[in-house]
Parts: sequence; structure tokens; C-alpha cells
Amino acid sequence: MVDSGFDQIFADLIDELRPRELFLRALSDIVPGGGLLLLSPGGERLREGVVFELDSELEEELAAAVAAVAVPRQPSGPLPARRVAAGWLYAFAVPEFNAALFWWLPGKDDLGREPAGAALLVHALHYALRAEEREEEVAQEEQYRRQIEVLKRQHGELIEDNYRQYRINQEREQGYARNLEREIARQTAELREANARLEEISRHKSEFLANMSHELRTPMNAIIGFAELLADTPLNGEQDEYCRTIRQASASLLAQINDILDLAKIEAGKLELSPAPFNLDELLAGVTAIFALAVKAKGIDLSVHRDPDLPVQLLADSHRLHQVLLNLLGNAVKFTERGGVELRVERAGVGAAGGSLIPLRFVVRDSGIGIPASRLQAVFEKFTQADGSTTRRFGGTGLGLAISKQLVELMGGSIRVESREGLGSTFSFVISLAPAAQVAPDKAPRQPVPAATAPFPGGGRILLVEDNPVNRRLASLLIGKLGYAVVTAVDGVEGLKAMRENRFDLVLMDVQMPRMDGITATHRIRALENDPAARGQYVSLADRCSPLPIVGLTAHARKEDEESCYAAGMSAFLSKPIDRNKMAAILERLLAGQG
Amino acid sequence: MMDAKSIVRRFSDTKTLPHVALRAARLVNEERATMHDFEEVIKLDPVLVARLLRLVNSPYFGLARKVESISKAVVFCGVKQLRNLVAVEALRSMFKGEDRRFSREQLWLHSATVAILAEMIAKRIFGLAGDEAFLAGIIHDVGLVAEDQVAGEELRLAADDLRLGKGSLIECERGRLGTDHCEVGLLLAQEWKLPTEVLKAIQFHHDPEKKFAIPSLSAIIVLADFMASKMQHNPVPGAPVPALPPSLARHVKGMMVNYKIIVRDLPAEMAKARELYHSDG
Repeated sequence: MVDSGFDQIFADLIDELRPRELFLRALSDIVPGGGLLLLSPGGERLREGVVFELDSELEEELAAAVAAVAVPRQPSGPLPARRVAAGWLYAFAVPEFNAALFWWLPGKDDLGREPAGAALLVHALHYALRAEEREEEVAQEEQYRRQIEVLKRQHGELIEDNYRQYRINQEREQGYARNLEREIARQTAELREANARLEEISRHKSEFLANMSHELRTPMNAIIGFAELLADTPLNGEQDEYCRTIRQASASLLAQINDILDLAKIEAGKLELSPAPFNLDELLAGVTAIFALAVKAKGIDLSVHRDPDLPVQLLADSHRLHQVLLNLLGNAVKFTERGGVELRVERAGVGAAGGSLIPLRFVVRDSGIGIPASRLQAVFEKFTQADGSTTRRFGGTGLGLAISKQLVELMGGSIRVESREGLGSTFSFVISLAPAAQVAPDKAPRQPVPAATAPFPGGGRILLVEDNPVNRRLASLLIGKLGYAVVTAVDGVEGLKAMRENRFDLVLMDVQMPRMDGITATHRIRALENDPAARGQYVSLADRCSPLPIVGLTAHARKEDEESCYAAGMSAFLSKPIDRNKMAAILERLLAGQG
Repeated sequence: MMDAKSIVRRFSDTKTLPHVALRAARLVNEERATMHDFEEVIKLDPVLVARLLRLVNSPYFGLARKVESISKAVVFCGVKQLRNLVAVEALRSMFKGEDRRFSREQLWLHSATVAILAEMIAKRIFGLAGDEAFLAGIIHDVGLVAEDQVAGEELRLAADDLRLGKGSLIECERGRLGTDHCEVGLLLAQEWKLPTEVLKAIQFHHDPEKKFAIPSLSAIIVLADFMASKMQHNPVPGAPVPALPPSLARHVKGMMVNYKIIVRDLPAEMAKARELYHSDG
């Protein structure tokens, strides 16, 4: 591989005399004080130590004598020596350099005669001859040492570098973990935001529906009211039929608007139950009575079975319970052509331990067309009927079951359905109700009041405060028909002015009005009544020994609207469209107390 | 006549340091690089992975245990060593072609010898890590390969001039090509983003006027180049070898025994590293 040796490579730099100089220096270092002369065949004379010269005769003789004699391996006797000047001269052949060495040592004694001295000289010579070899060994050792140092350093760097990599990998892993967490957090936040947005939209939709229903109810008020008034006028046969159709259609439309309003309230979380004592039998009788005519016309049976052991007086929001049963029975009657419909109320096991609640199961079973298994759950969804064609065949908004389901859940139960196509359906739900003490009917002012069959004959002066001209006209016509005298005012300010000048036995007060609304006006009236000085200025208030009855009128049928009426000091509350019978009953009751 | 840039440009068109080698060389300088990044780069070239593992397990590294993955090789040998191996692998294919007037294969043997000698001098004389010395050695004459590729005949004429004693190699190259392999090699190495010391060593390895600091990578390469050229591995067969610059001559003269040992040990070191430069690998 490498053909050229060191000598060739560095030929220009090599100093040929150097090994010989090295040898002489080493020798004089070991045995100092003497002189050394090395004679090479080329005539080079190398010296070290004390400089001496021999006469040329002796030099030639000695050189020739030692030429064939090498330095012995071991001293085997006295070394040949010559007495020269103040010392002794020894001569050796050095074949390594092809040279003769003369070594002069000062002193009286011939060192080479004694065995110890001879050994010293011979060993010194051997040692000096290996000087170059030793130099190489030292260099070799130094090179090893440097390489080991380099390796050690590289080792340290490797360890450091591996540690650095370990740290970087660790940091990267932590970075990945942090990124992952951040990403999850971001997505969660996004989802949460999207969810909030959806809820907001849903709430807006429900609010929109609620407002919409309110807007619809106001004209409905006029349609229903005037249709009723129209029916009371002399009509021929054709006109009577038209009028009846208008009243039926508007009643149906109002029911649907109420459904939508209910659902919107439920979804907006604004529907609250108001439990009150009620009579179960009365509720059942009332709800079935509604279907008496329809059942008779279809030629089907409608039976009611109440477990006789159940208490009759219970605590619940009977209005909402009534609504649920009405929906379930309504569907059952609607979809049954043969056989019958059964409403059953029974105890569903034992109530919660130690509690007084009674679990009641309400079951509505029919022998109607039934619901396909695949549509069973869908019937509770909004705007859905068992199949799309039923809407066309049977009518209805499709909201009844959705509302019923929500109402039952609000009451702490859940509605179930079992059905077999062609054989009939069974809807049932269980709710737990507390028994209630017997209550006197007059202590439950919001219970359905028996319809007034005849207008109150005694008369009475009523002030109607209402801003909407159509409603004002309708209400005053209704009041007039009931046999009362009526004066109208367009807002709270006008109303108060009228009260200052005239005596009234009762005020019908619209809630929403410009300038001064019904709530403010009511507050003012109640305040005046409590101020002896001021009340004298009002004819309507001056002589009264009891508060003036005020009946609130509002198209908002919400519970909080009703509550705010009572809170303002109103005596009763009527929702628009005004139900003639309800108004008759309220007016009769409030005016009966008047002297 | 052309300049170094046009040679480099035209050389880069035909032959360039493979993508993998470039990225590996850059990784060495990145503080946040890890063995995984290195492995990601190397494993793009499966043949290279196999060759690297063979080299890492060769006697040159003298590892006590067998290394079976690049990331382990990084752990045991360090990133710099692997970078050098990648460079060797990338350069090897460039040094093909035998010619009486200019032999690339002789140049490859010459470069391998310079690389190993440079590493030995760095470690044994100066107690320095030998990685960069090796890299500088293996790559110091790459400019000649580019010249051969782009202007083969002009280079051969320059080689002829050199053999006829018409000046130094650099002078002859300048006469025929308008540039020299130090300039061309420097541009290439700059393109490859090699360390500054390596760039200087390539740039000045034929500069007789340069006063080399000792120790320095440049001084080591000049010395190793001189020694290898004296050992017959001469890219321009028959060309005279110029003398060492005086400062280096003084340095060698003062450490004769040491260089004697290096020359003595070189054959064994070359044998250990045979796997690296042997062309039938």
C-alpha cells in the first residue's frame, strides 16, 4: 500500500549525523567528565565532552585494532586501556555506525581493570546505543497519551451531546403534549361557543314564536269576539252557517296558536307549573265531556275508569294535566273509527319510601288505526305524525304529543306508547302527586267558573281602559250585552281623568298602553285609595269602603304577566281573546260584592 | 478559459453532492438536531443506511459492540463522524475513471490517504479531534474532480505541463483552465456548507506563501498532502512533489521521531479504514 518509507518521504529533512550525536550525548550524560571521539570511515570526527586529540600514529593503530572487535555483550574481563595524559583511553568498535569510538576518562585508576568499572562502561555504551530507540518509545508513548486524551474528550462530548439530545427530545415531547392540550382546549372552546350559539338561536326562535303567537292572538281576539256578537244578532239560515263556520275555524286556529305558544314557552324554559289542589274526578269528567259529541257522532265508546281507592283531592297543575289528557284523548278519538277509547287512572306501585306522594298511572287506550313500529318514537317529535299523510287526513299541528311529552316530563314523569298497527295504541304516563285537603271552590279563584247563563241584571258602571280601537269596541259591546253600562278611555291618563269625574263600580284595564300603561295606572289608583286627602277628588274612589275592583286585560297569557297584574294590585285577570263566559263570571263575582 | 464559478455551476448541473449528504452536513451545525433527525435524513437512502452501518461496524471505529441502527451509530460515533461517512459515500462515486494523464482513482486513494494521515496527525501530534481533519482530507482535491468533469482535456494539458516542469500544479491549472482546484473546491465546499476551517484548508493547501499557524487544519492538510503525494498516490502520475513550506519543514524536523511513528503506523490505519475508501465496497 504505502511503498515509500519515512526516509524517502522526508529525505530532505533527515539529518544523517543525528543518531551518532544522540549516542555520544547519551554516553556523556551517563558518565560525565570524560571526552568522546567517534571516527567514521568517511572521516567525520564527532566529539562530546572534553576535547582531546591523539597523535595520528596511535589513532590509526587503535582504530585498526578495534575495527574487528565489537563492544562485548557482557564485560568478561578487564577492558584494554592506555594511559594517556592524566587519564585512561578506551577504544571500541561501534558497528551500528560503522565507526570507532575513543573514550578518554581522567584519573589515576584504570576503571576498566575492575569488574564493576568494566561493567559500568559496557552498560553505558549499550544504553547510549539505544538512545534513538528510547526517544521513539517516548514519542510513541506520548502519541498514545494524546490519542487517549482525544478519545476521552470525544467521549465526554458524546455523552454531553447525547444528554443534549435527550433534553431536546424531552422538550419536544412536552411541546407535543402542550400543543395537543392547546388543540383540545381550542376545539372544546369552539364547540362550547357553537353550542352557546345554537342555544341562543334556539332561544331566539322560541322568543320569536312567543311574540308571533301574541301578535296572532290580538286579531284573533277581534275575530272570535265579533263572530260571537254576530251570532247573537238575527241571522238567516245561510248567515248562521257562515257565522258558525267562522267561530269553529277561529276556535281551532286559536287552539293551534296556543299549542305553538306552549311549545315555545317550554323550549325557552319559561313554562312553570303552578300546582294547586284539584278534584281528580272533576278533571276527568271535564276532559271527557269535551269529546261527548264527537264520540257520539262517530259511534264509538269513551269510558273512564278511576281506581276507587285513590284519593280524589290532589295537588298538581290541573290545567296542564288537563291539557295532556285532552291531547291524548283527542288523538285517540280522532284516530278511532270502531270500538272505543278508554281513559284509566290507577295507582302505579308504591310511592317513594316515607313520602306522601302517590304514583298515578294515566292510560289512554284506543282501538284505532295504530302506529307503525318504525314511527313509534317519532310521534313525540314536533310537527310529526305517524306518517305524513295523516296530517292531510286528520288535520292537527302535530304539536299535541310533543307538548304532552314535555309537560309530563316537567311533571316528573315520562310518556310511553305501545301500538300495533290496525289494532290500536296505548299511551301512558306515571306522575307522582301529593294528596290535598278538601278545598272550598271559592278559595280557588282560578278554577273554571260555571258559565254564566244569564247576564247580571242589576247593572253596574264599568270603565274600560283600552288603547286598541277594535278591542275597545269589542269589549264594550260584550260588556253592554252582559247588561252593564260602559264608559271607555284610551289610556291610563284618560282612565284616571274619567275616574275623577264619574263613579265606576269596576275597571277593565288593558295592560299594554301608550302614555300610561295598566300596571302604572293600577299602582296610582291603589295609592290614591290609601291617601284620604287625594281620594276625595276622585268620584269613583271617594265613597268606597272597599278597593275598586280592577280586572287586567292582556294578550300575553304568560304566567309572569298574570303575576305582575296581581302584584300591581289588580283584583282579577282576563287574557285576550276575551272569553265571554269567563268575563261574565268574573264581572258577576266582583260586582256581587258591591253594595 | 473559464473561471471557478462557471466550473462549479456546470459541475453542479451534472454531479452534485447528493441531497442526503448535504442535509446531513447541515444537521451537524444545528444545535437542536438529534439522532432522530439524523436518522430521518439518512433513511431516505436505504443503500446509504446499509453502507453506513457497515462502515460504523468496520475496524476503523473499533466499536466494542455491533451497531444496528443509525441513531445508535450517532450515539456511539457522534454526529460528526457520521457526517464524514456520508460525505465519503457521496464523494466515492465521483472518483471513478482511470487515465494515464490524470487518474481519478489515484486521486481517490490519494484523498483517502490524506484524510487518514490528517486524522492521525491531528490526534497523535496535536491531540486534536480528527473529524474535521478527515473531512478536509477526503474533500481537499474535489476541485480537481469538477475540473476533470467540466474541462477534462484542459486539465490533462495542465497535468502534462506539470510533468514537464512548467510550474506548480496551480500555475499549470491557471495556465490551461484559468482557475485552479483550490478555488473550485472552495466554492463547492461553500455550497455544501462545510465548516470554515475545512474551507480554509481546501483554499490554501497549495499556497506556498501562506504562513500556516501550527497547529491548524490547513497546516495538517498541507503536511498530509505532502506525505501522501510522496507515497506515489499522486493524482498526476509522475509529477514532482513540491517541498514543504519552511514553517512546516521546521515543525517536522523538530518532531522527526513522531512522524516516523506515523509513517510506520499508517499501513495499519489504512487497512483498518479500508472499508471506507475501498472502491469495491
